[in-house]
Amino acid sequence: MVKYISLRLFQSIFVLFGLSLLIFFIARVMPGDPAREALGNYATQEQVEALQKEMHLDRSFPVQYYFWLRSLLQGDLGKSVVTRRPVTADLKQFIPATLELILFATLISLVIGQVTGVLAGYFRNSWFDGLSRLVSYLGIATPSFVVAIFLLFIFSQLLGLAPSIGRIPLMMKPPPTITGFLVLDSLIAGRPDIAGVAVMHLVLPAISLAVIHIAQEGRITRSSIVENLQKDYITLHQVHGIKTSRIVFKYLLKPSIIPTVTVIGLDFAFLLSNAFLVELVFMWPGFSRYAVNAMFHKDLNVIVAVVLIIGLTFALVNLLVDVVITYLDPTIRIQRRGG
Amino acid sequence: MVMVLFVIGFCSVLGAVDNVAVLNAMPGILTDPAQAWDWYDMQVLYNLYDPLVYPTPEGSIRPHVALSWEPVDGDLAHWKFTIMAGYLFHDGTELTAEDVAWSMNRIKAMGGGGVMGDVTATATDFYTVDFVLGVPNAVFPETLTQFFILNEDLLMENLADGDYGENGDYGNAWLQENDAGSGPYMMTHNSPGDRLDAARFEEYFLGWPGTDNPDEVPIDQLIFKEESQFSTLLLLLKSGGLDVECDGGWSLPQLEEIDKTEGLRLNYVWSENTTVSINTTRSPTDDEHFRKAILYAYDYEAVVEPYLPFGAGEGGTYLSRMPGFVPIEPQPRKKDLDKARAELALSKYADKLDEIPPIIAHFCAGLQNEEDIFLQLQADLDELGIKVEVAGPPWSQYGSEAATAEGTPHLTIWVFAPQYPTPDFYTYGMYHSPNWIYSAHWYFGDKEILQLLEQTRATLKFEDRIPLYEQVQPMIASHALAFFPYERQKAFPSQAYLIGPFEVTEMVGPNVNMRNWRINLTLKEELRG
Repeated sequence: MVKYISLRLFQSIFVLFGLSLLIFFIARVMPGDPAREALGNYATQEQVEALQKEMHLDRSFPVQYYFWLRSLLQGDLGKSVVTRRPVTADLKQFIPATLELILFATLISLVIGQVTGVLAGYFRNSWFDGLSRLVSYLGIATPSFVVAIFLLFIFSQLLGLAPSIGRIPLMMKPPPTITGFLVLDSLIAGRPDIAGVAVMHLVLPAISLAVIHIAQEGRITRSSIVENLQKDYITLHQVHGIKTSRIVFKYLLKPSIIPTVTVIGLDFAFLLSNAFLVELVFMWPGFSRYAVNAMFHKDLNVIVAVVLIIGLTFALVNLLVDVVITYLDPTIRIQRRGG
Repeated sequence: MVMVLFVIGFCSVLGAVDNVAVLNAMPGILTDPAQAWDWYDMQVLYNLYDPLVYPTPEGSIRPHVALSWEPVDGDLAHWKFTIMAGYLFHDGTELTAEDVAWSMNRIKAMGGGGVMGDVTATATDFYTVDFVLGVPNAVFPETLTQFFILNEDLLMENLADGDYGENGDYGNAWLQENDAGSGPYMMTHNSPGDRLDAARFEEYFLGWPGTDNPDEVPIDQLIFKEESQFSTLLLLLKSGGLDVECDGGWSLPQLEEIDKTEGLRLNYVWSENTTVSINTTRSPTDDEHFRKAILYAYDYEAVVEPYLPFGAGEGGTYLSRMPGFVPIEPQPRKKDLDKARAELALSKYADKLDEIPPIIAHFCAGLQNEEDIFLQLQADLDELGIKVEVAGPPWSQYGSEAATAEGTPHLTIWVFAPQYPTPDFYTYGMYHSPNWIYSAHWYFGDKEILQLLEQTRATLKFEDRIPLYEQVQPMIASHALAFFPYERQKAFPSQAYLIGPFEVTEMVGPNVNMRNWRINLTLKEELRG
């Protein structure tokens, strides 16, 4: 297993290298002058040219890439022309905000998706199965930002049950930053009240992001349950009079969840880059919003850094998914050992 | 555990903090005056810092940190400024001429300060600063309305590694999250991309005068929340999550909705001049008669009428409220296809309209009112048999296109509030070469106009410049270098319990200087509970 993980990580380096070349090139051929963007309308042409030189924009593409790669290997992702801070400082601020949100969304989609999927599969063709199918189609068809606006309108504006923006109320002082995860940092600081408020603020945006994945994962789980229910070993357990709950949790769930685990992994990485519209609706100071803002301003260093982070996330999450599947499915372990 | 935390959060009672105003800001506030250049940076800077001089509602300047100023021996390239004694920074130290000179030289070293030009500053004594300019400029003092003074000692104690030799980064990194100003508010927290918090500086040198209503008090805390989506901002205004919206770029339906919403007010503050620049180096807009045909064919009434209830009016070379404004052709501001055809008949393209390429008209992406202006033009020019292609690239592309005459489309829209309070911003700034507003017509190069503009910058007294501005406007208009669909007063929606601004200037920043506003806490409690 260690050898397998090491090999996968090694392969990821080449993938990320190729990705960085591609996005480096694309970002530079996009229309727009990042130096002018940084200095504004009232800078002279001489000032713009000086900054272009400083950013190596007057050099050839391979030379620009060399300077960038050299900095990257020293841990320097450059500076953002929008925030004027090192990109690493920006990422340190924005990534935890989005990670906390998508972890919460993943948790919601996992719990609700699995429960509905298992029930729909076990009680297939019942009214519950039909209802969950209908709701799933609705969930898959509705974009997450539409769900976000709807939830905001109903629960925040009309009913006043949930907060509308940000990670905590504007007037509330946040706890000292340790991990960047507000809930965790609040608990570490001994402030469960702030943690509770942070959870409240997470609910609506997380549900908005989770809806489509609940629908998706629910359907996949349902199909797996239906398929595995027809397997001989399940019939044997039923004939032997083993309790339904034991059959479901001990014998049915584990093999049925394997396809869902793969999807969950992909969804997690997908959310990191595509939470933008939900972050916009809820004024969530997260990574996706930061990334899109960088695209609009042709913030070259940020664009490349963001794509690399997303690529790295995909690589790592897929690796984790494969490891988890290996644990869940012993046949894969045996195959890998060459048995 | 999640459910438990949710319940704890729901039950948490937050202490009411009434005396707070939440404003919006564009994402990416720059708190370093050497880097800040756009209006949304200025609206924050006017709260945290003090400029050397302050703009007036009449389109001039008045003493602020600087008490007086004059050219040395009449030399407009050499200015002496005397600053106020006893002026304090937020840390209690005195603001001296050394701070002023250092702040100016810092801006220059860091590549900022475009509107001020090439300037070197020296403190000649504790309260006197000498500014030496690269080029003589009678308008130099007016450009200092956006020159903000920093605490030199504090920044020099907090240098990081940077590109400026022994000056490191000039304290740039430290300044992003710390306060070094003297303004009415002190930065207490900054999370770039998220929010900036500031607290009232009670010892501010101008004090905090009251109003006739004892319920109206100065605002103690400001929160600038970085958000630019109008749909979200509207929701926040209605729910009380936002107190003042400071962009003013609302669409017509949104303005109408705000106007009807109880508890909200529209405040008409700074004006913007909507200018459609015409590229005089590209065929067919290189022909003056062709350009005039565009001006006469345009249906001004159709675009301005919906905005009339919201402070729109006839546009011109500069804002109508500025001194010396002169209405320019076409008069009246109505579509006149007969005049348009007459001009077209005089142009060199009269017989070959079928052969000319389409007019390329670009506006900045996301700005509906700019797109509407060009869609109207497209329809109007179609009646003359002239094709117009309208597109809205994102700002980064839009800005870099307009950096050169060759790259600029035939038509581009620029909506500017002045960066400093005088007509010079719109006249010399936009029509003299070389200049720093790349959207302009410096490449047109009419000698008479250039000489007149240079004369404005050689005329010391503000009142003596006004007749020169009155002359130059029709001269610029006679060449049809641009047309002006309308000027609009920007409307800042605010909660009804926020009263202000008590003084309105044509520049953005001073209007969002929250010392210029008060909060009525009694009314806030009634409206928001």
